[in-house]
Amino acid sequence: MAAPVAPVDGVLAALAARKRWRLHHIAGAAALIAFLLWCADGVNLRPRELAGALPLIGEYFYRMAPPKWEFSEVLWKPALETIYIALWGNVIAIVIGLPLGVLAASNVTRSAPLRAAAKALLNLQRSISEMIWAVFFVAAVGLGPFPGALALGVNFGGILGRLYAEALENIDPGPVEALAATGASRLQVILYAMFPQALPQFVTYNLYWFEVGVRSATVLGMVGAGGIGFELVTTIRLFEWRETGVVLLLILAMVTLIDLASTWIRARIY
Amino acid sequence: MMVPAGHAVEPSLSIRGLSKTYAGGVQALNNVNINVAPGEFLVILGPSGAGKSTLLRCVNRLVEPSAGEIFHNGAKITGRRRGLRAIRRQFGMVFQQFNLVKRLSVLTNVLTGRLAYRSIWRSLVYSFPEADKCIAIECLARVNMDHKAFQRADTLSGGEQQRVAIARALAQQPKVILADEPVASLDPKIARQVLSYLREAAQELGITVLCNLHQVEYAREFAERVVGMSHGSVVFEGSSLELTDDILHRIYYREPGEEEKEEA
Repeated sequence: MAAPVAPVDGVLAALAARKRWRLHHIAGAAALIAFLLWCADGVNLRPRELAGALPLIGEYFYRMAPPKWEFSEVLWKPALETIYIALWGNVIAIVIGLPLGVLAASNVTRSAPLRAAAKALLNLQRSISEMIWAVFFVAAVGLGPFPGALALGVNFGGILGRLYAEALENIDPGPVEALAATGASRLQVILYAMFPQALPQFVTYNLYWFEVGVRSATVLGMVGAGGIGFELVTTIRLFEWRETGVVLLLILAMVTLIDLASTWIRARIY
Repeated sequence: MMVPAGHAVEPSLSIRGLSKTYAGGVQALNNVNINVAPGEFLVILGPSGAGKSTLLRCVNRLVEPSAGEIFHNGAKITGRRRGLRAIRRQFGMVFQQFNLVKRLSVLTNVLTGRLAYRSIWRSLVYSFPEADKCIAIECLARVNMDHKAFQRADTLSGGEQQRVAIARALAQQPKVILADEPVASLDPKIARQVLSYLREAAQELGITVLCNLHQVEYAREFAERVVGMSHGSVVFEGSSLELTDDILHRIYYREPGEEEKEEA
């Protein structure tokens, strides 16, 4: 009995000593809460007004019922267009994001300046939102779904490139060393040791950003970049609430379907 | 240095005055001199941290030596970066952790041993010529793994994975195989099986093998000649029959400061 007690006491004493840090934690938490309250003033948080306005928001949804189903006859074409935009936006995002992601990954690209350049480009693509890119591209190539797909491609390329780089940096370096030892070139090592390891993550990210793309594409229409967003905004502006209800339900259905499909695909890629 | 009579021919590998100090200041190798005869199965024996891994990685330049030279069939293979891939192609490597690409099939893993012979354009579309596939299947048959060619590598047991890794090294059609603790994570029965496959394939194909081990019994069973290493230096060189308790003590328990010299 006596023998094991001594080390236990020692560890317990050490544990008690570590607990003294808790004071710092409390101070940190208090500072964080103070900061949040200070910011709340900045965003004019007025919970009481929100509570008063809740019935008003409820009324919007009340007006949408029952949905005017005939409207879907007009909607199916822009809905399909939304899917096209999301799909091609993702294809463009892969074409832009994959090479930049490879260049930005520290275990692939040894040259620090090259890595920094790739990261800077990805940051630029990411920091400008797809709606702003859409405004630029509508001005450049005219109205329609094409500028929408370009806008998604550039913005999502920045996000996916960053995620690809992280996925590559987290792979097991063992097979990479093994293939380098065979005399394979750097590019061959990337293709045969790195990509296969990162592939499940690549696919997961792409499926998720396809879903995000469909949601984004539903608002791109507001700036004239095609898709169902144009109908959404128009019905709201004309107070055609029952039509708005149909549009929102359709978007919900599309996102749900894509979510189901991507779950199905991901279960098969691992 | 002791050179057995039959080894008077030009050595396959000649390591001269090799030293390696890592960036952190750790000296892994200290003036190592080893000659390896063509077709020899040489075991490098020593405790963890003796510098065995660094030694093998200096040969195919996964690690750049700080000083010294290495010659392969009389040609210097240290120093220049040019032609490094052509040098590496001649040295197959087998690792403790197997290092297969787990999501690829057994056959594709072995085919990666052929990459150094092929252009990047063909590799871009993940395609290999028929001749390479024949070589890969032959190599798999040598380690008796051809029946699992289309299985994914991560479905295999440890011993099977290491046999596939040996096949990958053989697919390079190498002159030398560098085996870095190839059986350290396998149980004794499987370990002997894997070492037997390695030795047989090397014998039949005339491949020189440098095999790092830390278990004495495997060295006794499989080595023709043993080099004992301790703290980055060679402290023994001779037949596995000469591994006496005294010599094993020198290999495994010598303190870094002690400078024991081997009697000629």
